[in-house]
Amino acid sequence: MTTNTADSSAQSSATQAGQTPAATDRRRTSILLLDDEPIVCKRLKPFFQKAGYEVEAYNVPSEALAKIETRGFDVVITDLKMEGSDGLTFLSKVKALYPDTDVIVITGFATTEVARESFQKGVFDFVTKPFKLADILDCVRRIEKKQRARREG
Amino acid sequence: MALKDTLFWWRKPPAVPFAVLFKKFKSILERNNQILEIMGDMGDKLGGGYIFDQQYLIESCEKLGDHVFKFVSDLDVLCQTKNVPLFTAFERVQHQIQEELAGRRVLSRSDHILPISELTHALADEGGNKMASIGDMRNILDYPTPDGFVVTTGAYFDVMERAGLRDRVVETVTRLCETEGEGEDDGVEEVARELQEAVLSMPLPKQLEKAIVQAARKLSEDGHQLLAVRSSAWGEDGELSFAGMHDSVLGVTPKDVIPAYRQVLASLFRERALRYRIHHGQCHEEPAMAVGIILMVDAHVSGGLYTYVQSKESDPHIVVSSAWGLGKPIVDGSIETDTFMLKRDPPFELVSQGICVKDAQMVLDPSGGTRIEDVPEALREVPSLTPAQITTLCETAMNLERFFKRPLDVEWAFAKDGGLTLLQARPLPLEPRLNVADEDASLESQEAPIIDAPVIFSGSGIPAMEGVASGPVRLLEEGGDLSDFPYGAILVTHNSSPRFAKIMPKCKGIITDVGSATGHMATVARELRVPTLVSAGNATKLLKDGQIITLDTAQLTVYDGAVEALCHYELAREDLFVFEETQEYRTLKRVLKHITPLTLLDPKDDSFSPENVKTLHDIVRYVHQKAVEKLIDLSESHQEVKESVPRKLITRVPLGLTVIDLEGGLHAEAGEEVPEEDVLCLPLTALLSGLCDTGMWETRAVHVDMGSFMSSVTRTLPPSQSDPKRMGRNLAVVSEEYLNLHLRLGYHFTVVDAYIGRSINDNTIMFRFMGGVTDFSRRSRRATLIAAILEQFDFVTEIKGDMVTGRIKKHPIPAMLDKMFMIGGLIGYTRQLDALLDSEEASQHHLEDFLHRIATAKETYHDHKYS
Repeated sequence: MTTNTADSSAQSSATQAGQTPAATDRRRTSILLLDDEPIVCKRLKPFFQKAGYEVEAYNVPSEALAKIETRGFDVVITDLKMEGSDGLTFLSKVKALYPDTDVIVITGFATTEVARESFQKGVFDFVTKPFKLADILDCVRRIEKKQRARREG
Repeated sequence: MALKDTLFWWRKPPAVPFAVLFKKFKSILERNNQILEIMGDMGDKLGGGYIFDQQYLIESCEKLGDHVFKFVSDLDVLCQTKNVPLFTAFERVQHQIQEELAGRRVLSRSDHILPISELTHALADEGGNKMASIGDMRNILDYPTPDGFVVTTGAYFDVMERAGLRDRVVETVTRLCETEGEGEDDGVEEVARELQEAVLSMPLPKQLEKAIVQAARKLSEDGHQLLAVRSSAWGEDGELSFAGMHDSVLGVTPKDVIPAYRQVLASLFRERALRYRIHHGQCHEEPAMAVGIILMVDAHVSGGLYTYVQSKESDPHIVVSSAWGLGKPIVDGSIETDTFMLKRDPPFELVSQGICVKDAQMVLDPSGGTRIEDVPEALREVPSLTPAQITTLCETAMNLERFFKRPLDVEWAFAKDGGLTLLQARPLPLEPRLNVADEDASLESQEAPIIDAPVIFSGSGIPAMEGVASGPVRLLEEGGDLSDFPYGAILVTHNSSPRFAKIMPKCKGIITDVGSATGHMATVARELRVPTLVSAGNATKLLKDGQIITLDTAQLTVYDGAVEALCHYELAREDLFVFEETQEYRTLKRVLKHITPLTLLDPKDDSFSPENVKTLHDIVRYVHQKAVEKLIDLSESHQEVKESVPRKLITRVPLGLTVIDLEGGLHAEAGEEVPEEDVLCLPLTALLSGLCDTGMWETRAVHVDMGSFMSSVTRTLPPSQSDPKRMGRNLAVVSEEYLNLHLRLGYHFTVVDAYIGRSINDNTIMFRFMGGVTDFSRRSRRATLIAAILEQFDFVTEIKGDMVTGRIKKHPIPAMLDKMFMIGGLIGYTRQLDALLDSEEASQHHLEDFLHRIATAKETYHDHKYS
């Protein structure tokens, strides 16, 4: 079986978007994941990795905090309600250190109170559990678009 | 109606106004819908693409329990009596759900002995991973494995509990975990000896002993065949292998089966096993040992294979090792073996082989046990496997790897009669490969695969089964021939269809243009774990037959070519994580067992009682039925509506419909039996006309043949759909402009709530259809078809599980009445739908058939109405 490379790449560029960032952008978008439910990280980490992102995942807020102090990420995805820690505190820390980092908040429930407070802290968007993988990927892609525009403009 | 209730109404006039009771009734109906929606939502999570956690399960179950409790209470208010048996039933089901949620490894089977023929990973808690995997290979993938049974972890707990050892084990393990690494003499050796001695000397319950011996005798045909007694502990062959930690006893006769069982139990506490457990932090989980008792295979040749062996220079390969006789010395490494290295793709080209001199082999000793004997001269230096046997092994290995979604270490044997038997399959841990294709990137992250393959399409579709597959496309036209489907291809086709189930064992992946993640095909794909993307739009246009692609369903992406990095990544993930085996997924499946199945079916049957309730759905069904009956009863006795007693509507088709007129819905002079002409309620008139004038009711089951030509085949309706007595009591509450209709025809359940009057903004129709007990594929096809029909008429539709809801608002009266007319036709048409929807092609045909017929009938209706 031989495939005509020239032909197939022409075909793929003719189809709709959905290029992996790795294929279009030499610099890979980095994501930090924080959720104390192991299943969330276990599913999201490989999902984003395969989509071409650089991902680090944490189940424990203090470990994520320690990491954040050593380096920044393009996107932070964090749960808001975790045992022993307030996601909002983590969120504030991230924003204080890296104002350009965009944060997606995962939450089991979204009260208007919490929503208002986290939007004040500069949250990019909310995802309410349970959510679809496609939705959160879409959210990250919107962030990338915004960040790219900011870099170029 | 109970006398007590009659007295209640009689003694306390004026009774609660009927309008108030009706409002209660309506709130019951609303709750009914909310409950069904939550149930549908939870069912959807089994399909692809969602992230949910334990919290979601807890909250959904809580919400559901809360609604069902209120639902039961609402019925009490309506009936003015407390239905104790129903509350008891609710508590019983709730308790089961809570037990599942608590994650206390509630064994779903209390049996102490389970035959292999019933084992799958769903019973991994009962049978242990090793035996559950054997069950998967046999019962899901249909490979031969030795016959046998498992003495469950339930039996282990029982035995240990009676001997007073269960708590001691837990305490001991916890203590050892806490003191790990403290000093040289950590006491593990002594503890191990004590525990083993205790297990070897504890009494076994006589009943269990008898049951094991009896089952062993039967299995061995009274000692004519020998048995293997194998460990299958919790955790063994799972994320950790515990390889070689526990004992297996080979060549056992039935009279020795009890000492062998005991020995395997005791091996749970071998020093090396305890150290392994502590070292790997298996401290939070109680040790438990299931024991498999299976027939020994009198092997001619046996061995092991690794499905995925990474070499530095080249692509990964399959490696098979084999030797004459039984497999034990091969696995132990105590004899030399032939080695074959093969490509992982068909035709599994031989890359290299090493044939050694095989002097000795292990054989079964007919008097019990095994012995080593010389290999006959002629066999010593020849390959122990034929090319055909090697191909069989490779094909099998790749199928197993795809199912278990991991590289595997497989033990197998070819018996003296030549047949392949699989003895064991366990995960083979791999090192994630460093990707050196891009140096910058590899510095940033050493785990993510670099995928530079062109994307053919991305972003559309629903993952019905998550996974990665790489192989040639097999483009299949509608109704195309499946008999020559090539092994290892990816099926690409327009519609999803349950008929693909039969080629799933051969195909690596499935992509369909249309289809649903809850349909029958998706269910089978999940069962067999074939990566499946449905509703992908125009995959059949973008992909070419024979083209090599790589499908990643979670990413909704299809790449051109074989993307080895992705395939490797998928198999080599550090945590060997398989979603279908997570606690969350299994818990969801388990709680749903207590929630969604409907087992209370026939209200006329004596078994339709709270005592027979098995699930929440049963409760909902029961309450709904009783609420409808009660409302009819109430309106018969309620003073306020006495003047307008509920009346029987005499329709041309047998609906068994009782009508309660709130105001102006029936002719003032209508008697106890109302002919259709006396119905003044606008929405009901239109609906009845659609039901009776269109001839839809009489539609017979017809067969659609390949060319989509129709040949009328008379098929008798199932009795459940034709006997009006089985319909229960159907109810319409009407006024001149309002209709609330509850119709149960056979196992179908329809709700219509409509207001059609002069004020356009208030005009609204809600139509809801639910099916009953037909098989899953037809149910989901039916839901899709009904939604498609409703959408043709501008309804906004929603499908949850097999429930379809259509809503439309704010159209002028004539348009709204046309919709009601259509709904009448649809109710008639759906009566016999189940029998017809035996294929996707049939669905399409029936959509067109219905639209055509309703259009024709509508013209006649209009002519008649306006002439």
